[in-house]
Amino acid sequence: MNEIKKDVKPAKVIGVPRPLIDGPEKVSGKALYTADFIPYDHMVGRIFRSPVAHANIVEVDTSKAEALKGVLGVVTGDDCDEGFGVLPIARYEYPLARERVRYRGEPVAAVAAVDVETAQKALDLIEFKYEELPSYFTSEEAMAPDAVSLHEHREGNIERDVDYDLGDVDGGFADADLVLEREYNCAEICQVQSEPHAAIAEYDAERDYMTVRASTQVPFYVHLMLAKTLKMDQSRIRMIKPHIGGGFGCRTECLNVELICALLARKAKGTVRLVVNREETFITHRGRPETDVKLKVGMKKDGTITAVDCQAIQRGGAYGGYGIVTILYAGSLINGIYQLDAVRYNGLRVLTNTPPPGAMRGHGTVDVRYGFEAILDELSVELGLDPIEVRRKNLLKEPYETLNEMFINSYGLPEALDIVERESGWKDKRGKPGKDGDGKYRGLGVGCAHYPCGASKPVNWTGEPHATVHLKLDWDASITVLTGAPEIGQGSSTMVAQCAAEVLGLDMTRFQVHSGDSKLVPKDNGAYSSRITYMVGNASIEAARNLKTILIEAAAKKLDAKPEDIECLGEVYRAASQDEGLTFEEVVMAALEGTGTITVKGNFDTLPESHGTRKFRGGAIGGSMAYAYAAEVVQVAVDPDTAEVEVEQVWVAQDVGRALNPLSVEGQIQGSVWMGMGQAFCEGTRFHNGLPITGNMLDYRVPSIVESPPIDTHIVESVDPNGPYGAKEAGETSLAAFIPAYTNAIADALGVRPIDLPVTPDRLMELIEAKETEERVAAAQDSSVAAE
Amino acid sequence: MEYMPDFKLHRPDNIEDAVKLRAEEPDALFVAGGTDMIVNVRRGIEQPKHLIDITAIQELKSILPDGDGLHIGAGVSLKELQSNKDVLRDYPAVAEAARAVAGPTHQEYGTVGGNLCLDTRCLFYNQSEWWRQSNDYCLKKRGDTCHVAPGGKRCFAAFSGDVAPSLLVYGAEIDVVGPNGRRRMPLTDLYRNDGMGHLTLEAGDMLTAVRLPKALAGSPSRYEKARVRGSIDFPLAGAAVRLEMDGKTVKDFVVALTAVNPYPQIVKRTDTYVGRELTEAALDEIRELVRKQAKPMRTTTVAPWYRRRVVGALARRLTEELAG
Repeated sequence: MNEIKKDVKPAKVIGVPRPLIDGPEKVSGKALYTADFIPYDHMVGRIFRSPVAHANIVEVDTSKAEALKGVLGVVTGDDCDEGFGVLPIARYEYPLARERVRYRGEPVAAVAAVDVETAQKALDLIEFKYEELPSYFTSEEAMAPDAVSLHEHREGNIERDVDYDLGDVDGGFADADLVLEREYNCAEICQVQSEPHAAIAEYDAERDYMTVRASTQVPFYVHLMLAKTLKMDQSRIRMIKPHIGGGFGCRTECLNVELICALLARKAKGTVRLVVNREETFITHRGRPETDVKLKVGMKKDGTITAVDCQAIQRGGAYGGYGIVTILYAGSLINGIYQLDAVRYNGLRVLTNTPPPGAMRGHGTVDVRYGFEAILDELSVELGLDPIEVRRKNLLKEPYETLNEMFINSYGLPEALDIVERESGWKDKRGKPGKDGDGKYRGLGVGCAHYPCGASKPVNWTGEPHATVHLKLDWDASITVLTGAPEIGQGSSTMVAQCAAEVLGLDMTRFQVHSGDSKLVPKDNGAYSSRITYMVGNASIEAARNLKTILIEAAAKKLDAKPEDIECLGEVYRAASQDEGLTFEEVVMAALEGTGTITVKGNFDTLPESHGTRKFRGGAIGGSMAYAYAAEVVQVAVDPDTAEVEVEQVWVAQDVGRALNPLSVEGQIQGSVWMGMGQAFCEGTRFHNGLPITGNMLDYRVPSIVESPPIDTHIVESVDPNGPYGAKEAGETSLAAFIPAYTNAIADALGVRPIDLPVTPDRLMELIEAKETEERVAAAQDSSVAAE
Repeated sequence: MEYMPDFKLHRPDNIEDAVKLRAEEPDALFVAGGTDMIVNVRRGIEQPKHLIDITAIQELKSILPDGDGLHIGAGVSLKELQSNKDVLRDYPAVAEAARAVAGPTHQEYGTVGGNLCLDTRCLFYNQSEWWRQSNDYCLKKRGDTCHVAPGGKRCFAAFSGDVAPSLLVYGAEIDVVGPNGRRRMPLTDLYRNDGMGHLTLEAGDMLTAVRLPKALAGSPSRYEKARVRGSIDFPLAGAAVRLEMDGKTVKDFVVALTAVNPYPQIVKRTDTYVGRELTEAALDEIRELVRKQAKPMRTTTVAPWYRRRVVGALARRLTEELAG
């Protein structure tokens, strides 16, 4: 018998800062990403992309390419007549264009060849004949009355028109002391994750069996779409997700890359490696759509918001993708952060001849939240109120049901506001116009945001649990966590193991996590909408509790005691009345005796009341079991000569419910702030007649480390009643809050208010000069009045 | 094309062999740091059959004081240029410019010669082969339309090197070795105002060194560039200023610009300020003088008018700072 220490205690895992469990592989370069798998017999896949933005396909002649020595397979739209897409109602995109191409860079054909040079030569031999159609690169052009429809079933190029009117909006405006109306244009944003898209498909022609490795956040959606487009049984497809170099939503839906790769592999009867370059990754897109936000908000003199009227028009690109969800989220998430009693929303998702956007970090809410928090600031300043006080005035009181049936059960925004106000020195530093000694103008701005913890109703509603986790306990007394939750760098594997370890009182070293192989792990919907911690965390807790019950029963039997008398101390199980006990290994042996290796399961399901009703169209979208909240203060210094803005400091406080791993939570919050910073001051795609002119990392400017400010990060723990150990989401909320805090800070510094995003130096310079001209004119008028 | 095309790599260890190879293979390219050129090769803009790696040529790698000034080999890295004591003490804007190039890793690899011979840049040029083909190429290479100024027959691609203006304000000279031997010429003569052919080097010519005159050693100077990000970015506009004062009046004053024209240029008529005081009004005049001579076009995503505004503001600010 092993020696038992008297002072043994259950291991404390939750709330303890710890490095991610896959960290050593990543920092040492040992982690294998999709492109790192280079099978000895692989073919190289390459994609022929449309040179035109909108055209009827007359012919894709691949005969010369097929005849080239070394070419082993060529596929075109003729090879796949099954559409794909994340929403069952919007699967009208094909892996390779059929009949029409709708954006420049859309895949038209693909080749598999012995090497990259041959593959490229083959692409050059493909003859693409087409008849050009009028093309539309802006929402406005696409919505023009005489515009040709990109898709026959989408009249007027409207993918979705959302309309609702909740509460007495007109009455609210009538009651207001001040009503402001503003229009904000927010540029299209790309994720620019470090790993470009890649797939490796291995087709076993003998068995008609397909194995696919792909850089994805949703391996099981990819699995589903592979089966659909290949017309193969799901059981004949194995989907593997290796390490992932960032997602941020660009891989939240199945991409054409993995589908084309599989089509090629089957055609060429072998293994194809398709690694697309950075430009192609930009073209594959699925980032945040360009959005025109028109907002009208009414406020009373005391700061109470009386009514909100919002219109959002999103340039939706050539295909549906997540578009319908994005335009619904944009409206839904106006609610749930403040007490709002009258909200009108009109959302238009427009189809255009540009690459399709997707569900980028902060999905749906970011641009509308920017506008909302900016107009709130402007209203505050015009009414002579402190912007933080105005937010306090409009705080809601949980438990709270929003106009659109979202349920708020935990709400740490009040505390978050207190923290950033105090830590930033808000009261002393804000509202001090004029130039500082170093010639710069300084200012402070505030912004708030919130984000759900996964959609209560998944887009593919099949009735299965929202999350399932398996724990396998074996003779070696180690526990293998089997989860389909894709680890994409966000720390989900660490979180799942932590939740189980805490229940069992065991150290993390007893656990190994396997995620992302469809033949080994239970199905999971994937890494999106911040669902994993909340849902998979809860499933992991349940699985661990089930395992603990088995272990306690085994210990009771062995110790000849009742299960309810067994005390579980993690590494030791003992009956309450005696000092001697059993080591964990002994308990495991007792449990496995006669039954062999044990696998237990834990599920999680959302509460039906969080699903929303059909009271208004799109009501269920945005419904979540919980919402995280953030408040941010940004300090900027503006150089008047160059209109360059330096973010000197950021103070952020986010209510994450409970920080399961404070180190990882802090990283997520800072990453969100940083990503918001990119959108605020320099990121944005541009097109030249539909060609992505910023499809590289020089012209699409992601901030560099030089711009990265000190981020003073504070965690607020409101302890959500339904979250795993009270936890909520940590990785998206703080993004949206940065942007308005930044523009509000510029307004505080300069007295000019940036409207459109990003606030590039040329745009800001224009605003500064316009103000100077205005002041000169005013001064001239004053002096002429004085002269009279 | 993101993969490297088939090419033959040569690695001569002396200038004569390098120049000979270059003369023998008309489509060969010299490569030193490769931080910009290899990007263009991967994009398919350049499709050389031969690359002549000149990093084994020791003669190109030294910074040496000689009789008439400071000799800087074309193969000296930007990292070394910014940390060399003589450069830092005597020609501060040159070190400052080297520090402003892209990011630290680029400075480690990038060389003085590479930065001076940097290809001109344009949004419609620095794109992939697929992109350029889909856009019918452009005047600068393989096409006959300028997308910046459609209908025009001139190329407006902007010279975007950081180091040249700082050398220009010191009246630097360069050594060139070609099939017909060595020659020395003013750095200004290396460039012409043409985005398609901004270098006057002839086939087979190699820039081997830069010389900074001893007479101007210690003359105060500054360089500053405007850019969106504090790292990585090429200049949207850049200005180098060298200013010597005699009490309250100007003794010697030179301004040079980059990224606002197809070539780096010395601003004309700054000599009219010699003997004058640098009052606020004079500084404003200098700002306008600079703005008038900068002619940025739509070659980046940032508006040309901004680049013109900011280059004037930078020159004014640097002048004011140097005036003390």
